[in-house]
Amino acid sequence: MLRVFLTAAVAVMVAATAWVFWDRARGSTATPIAGFSAPFVFGRFAVPPDNPLTEEAFALGRHLFYDPILSGNNQVSCATCHMQALAFTDGLAKSPALSGGELEFSSMSLINLLWGQERFFWDGRATSLEAQALMPIQHPDEMDQDLDALITELQASRDYRRMFRKAYGEVSAENVARALSTFMRMLISTDSKYDRFLRGEVRLTAQEEHGRKLFMAHPDTKVSLRGGNCIDCHSQFLTSGFRDALDGFSNNGLDSDDDLPDGLMAVTGNPAHKGFFKVPTLRNIAVTAPYMHDGRFETLEEVMDHYNDGIVVSDTLSPLILEADNAPEAGQNTVGLRMTPGEVQSIIAFLNTLTDEGFLTNTQFSNPFEGDG
Amino acid sequence: MKFKLLAQSVLIGAGLLMVGLTPAQSQTREESQGMVLLRGLPTLDTNHSIAIVELDPESDQFGELLSEVEQPDIQHPLHHLYYSPNGRLYSTGLDPSCSLAEIGLSHDSGGTPVIEGFTCLDTQGQIVGEDIMWATSNGQEYMFVTFMGGTGGDDGGSVGVFDTQTNEVVKIIEARKSQVGEGEPYIMYPHGISAFDDRMVVTSTIHPDMTTGVGNVLTIIDLNTLEPIQNIVVENEKPLDFPSSPVEVLFARPDMHADIEPAILANTMFGFETWKIPYDAGSKTFGEAEVIYSGVANETAVPLEFYGTEDELFISHGLPGVVKRYELAALPELVSSGPDIVADPGAHHMIFFTSASGRDLIAVQNNLLNLGNAADDDPTDVDFIADLNAHTITIHDLETGERIAEVNFKESYNKGVDNVEGLFGSGFVHHH
Ligand code: HEC
Ligand code: HEC
Repeated sequence: MLRVFLTAAVAVMVAATAWVFWDRARGSTATPIAGFSAPFVFGRFAVPPDNPLTEEAFALGRHLFYDPILSGNNQVSCATCHMQALAFTDGLAKSPALSGGELEFSSMSLINLLWGQERFFWDGRATSLEAQALMPIQHPDEMDQDLDALITELQASRDYRRMFRKAYGEVSAENVARALSTFMRMLISTDSKYDRFLRGEVRLTAQEEHGRKLFMAHPDTKVSLRGGNCIDCHSQFLTSGFRDALDGFSNNGLDSDDDLPDGLMAVTGNPAHKGFFKVPTLRNIAVTAPYMHDGRFETLEEVMDHYNDGIVVSDTLSPLILEADNAPEAGQNTVGLRMTPGEVQSIIAFLNTLTDEGFLTNTQFSNPFEGDG
Repeated sequence: MKFKLLAQSVLIGAGLLMVGLTPAQSQTREESQGMVLLRGLPTLDTNHSIAIVELDPESDQFGELLSEVEQPDIQHPLHHLYYSPNGRLYSTGLDPSCSLAEIGLSHDSGGTPVIEGFTCLDTQGQIVGEDIMWATSNGQEYMFVTFMGGTGGDDGGSVGVFDTQTNEVVKIIEARKSQVGEGEPYIMYPHGISAFDDRMVVTSTIHPDMTTGVGNVLTIIDLNTLEPIQNIVVENEKPLDFPSSPVEVLFARPDMHADIEPAILANTMFGFETWKIPYDAGSKTFGEAEVIYSGVANETAVPLEFYGTEDELFISHGLPGVVKRYELAALPELVSSGPDIVADPGAHHMIFFTSASGRDLIAVQNNLLNLGNAADDDPTDVDFIADLNAHTITIHDLETGERIAEVNFKESYNKGVDNVEGLFGSGFVHHH
């Protein structure tokens, strides 16, 4: 009897071990994203060869992004500070810190991250999305979660075990990072009015078109060309950044030398990078107020006032800003573009064409734990 | 016949064939990839196609087609590719069913560029599309296309004006020599196109059938009225005993380089010359046309394209197959900036890019026309140009001109190569 029981127990154990082993070893059955097609005008992009875009990774990443299980107190998810309706920002000047008070920086919009970027965060301290993804999880003031504890929690969930298995094989911190990255890479926006204009589907109004021209032009008083000079720094405004490591960082004249934050210098140690911040995407800019790394401007009007006559000079101020002046004879009390109110309004009208309503409400990017998930 | 009519309207990728895509290469450098128009060679039983080819000799994939879309249903191939200022890709075409097309490009989920297909546009009967340029008339930007066959006939030719958003014909600029009064400006077999301020220039090259007639003038079009206002004769030496056949033009202008005095430069395909016609922007008048380069004296023939980088101008000469280089800032004078780049017979279109290691390169497409070789019993051969189709793209060091590598499309793919553009943008700074 005992013998029989023991044999049965061994059989069960063998089966269980085999199952666990099989479960781990089965590897992923991931399938490439169906019908994927990215606009050519956004330029080249590269997906890390060890983390291809797949349906299963996207589904897993989406769940993780919206799941407070990722935080130590199980109350904060990525979506707490990155809300879809606000183009994955949080509408605050600075995000709240777990310990009370606020974080150092304003939340950043997550959009078209597939293109190019080699540096993430306002000061560029992360060098890949995969590297970035685990940072907020462990940050004591963001999600304050121990990675080993997180993996134990995820492993306890049958749903997550299944999703991880299909996407990658095993539940691991590395695969958490990969899945979150895939979800974020797939946050693709291609249907703002301006995108449709580029495809030839709609026309811009005269004011929007005027704004577009100003946005693209460097002012040259010699040939009476007026310009807002934005493109000099915001050339990747439809995507989310620059492919060449440090190209997309500059000092756009927010602070004087006395209170200039370190910015990129904190990462590179190079004093020439003091006060340099990442030039962010301008896609959906109308819904991502307040603006700048510290959320100091409430409206696009305030942003334009800054560029028009509020530039603060410092040692590392971009020469592109210093040189761009539409009325150099007008006296030197202020530094800025010195455009007319009409021109300023035109640029704002153009910035408003960059809003992609479909993206902000796309159910594929919404919280999978709610509604039709 | 019915099919032709049908096809003449919008033909969306019907009968397209996606062939031989290499596996996803997510890490490739797009700047060294070229968009090419390939011509099926009837004797070798191949179809015309649009393809993306790797042109960096340092790449493992050098010479490989990364994406290709064939056009089995079109008798004559697509002709010249152009990117619009908004990044849309267009091609002119020689087949009456597809004289102008928009080409769809995208990226797949691995980041590999993909040619999705092409849409033939309604040209309202204008045929044999040649060059495209975007220019402004009364503050509004349009796409201007030269149609060497125009709406048909012995002295046809038109400049089609298209809405840049909808691709619809806004106006057909036409003025037949046989219909305008004696001494009135006409447009005939237009091919090259360029513009400065409110003046546009097109050339009068050759009847598309290559026998009916050959031109010898430039036509100036007033961009305010979109009407032809003047002809300028550019004919001197006649080495072939044909009219001069001006082909490509460049309106050299200060926005290319601040030191440039505006003037039209024009290459004559059968006169083998480069002409200069100075322009006075104040009085809006053109000066005397003069020869500034003689192919007869310099032992070159069939000068074709003008391409510019930031600081140099390049002119291709089909025979012996060289690209000559000049100081951009010295235009409209041709001041040499270095020795010839020795390509192959038929030297024609070119692009500029850098290799993976950062070396500056120039790629020259060597094929005069979309025509075959008599030696192959090719029915599309025309005697005169038999020696002008090397079917290659040669890659050279930009600084020294040294020839580094070549892709022979006839050997590798049984096709000719008719045009090259950079995949990502145009691959040059100035062209028209
Ligand atoms: C407490 C609020 C908060 C939470 C929670 C949070 N973020 Fe963020 N996120 C921010 C802030 C603030 C920044 C800008 C921080 C900086 O530059 O230092 C940011 C920046 C980013 C960026 C950089 C974008 C770019 O263009 O450089 C990415 C990507 C990102 N977050 C993803 C995530 C992911 C994934 C999670 C969940 C694992 C997450 N965030 C959780 C507030 C938050
Ligand atoms: C010298 C480079 C430069 C120029 C020129 C420039 N910007 Fe910026 N822009 C930046 C940088 C850098 C930031 C981020 C600065 C920070 O937060 O510290 C920024 C931020 C912004 C923001 C806020 C984005 C956000 O998510 O908070 C807007 C809006 C903006 N710029 C619009 C414009 C417009 C419109 C123009 C032209 C009138 C322009 N910029 C010209 C570099 C530039």
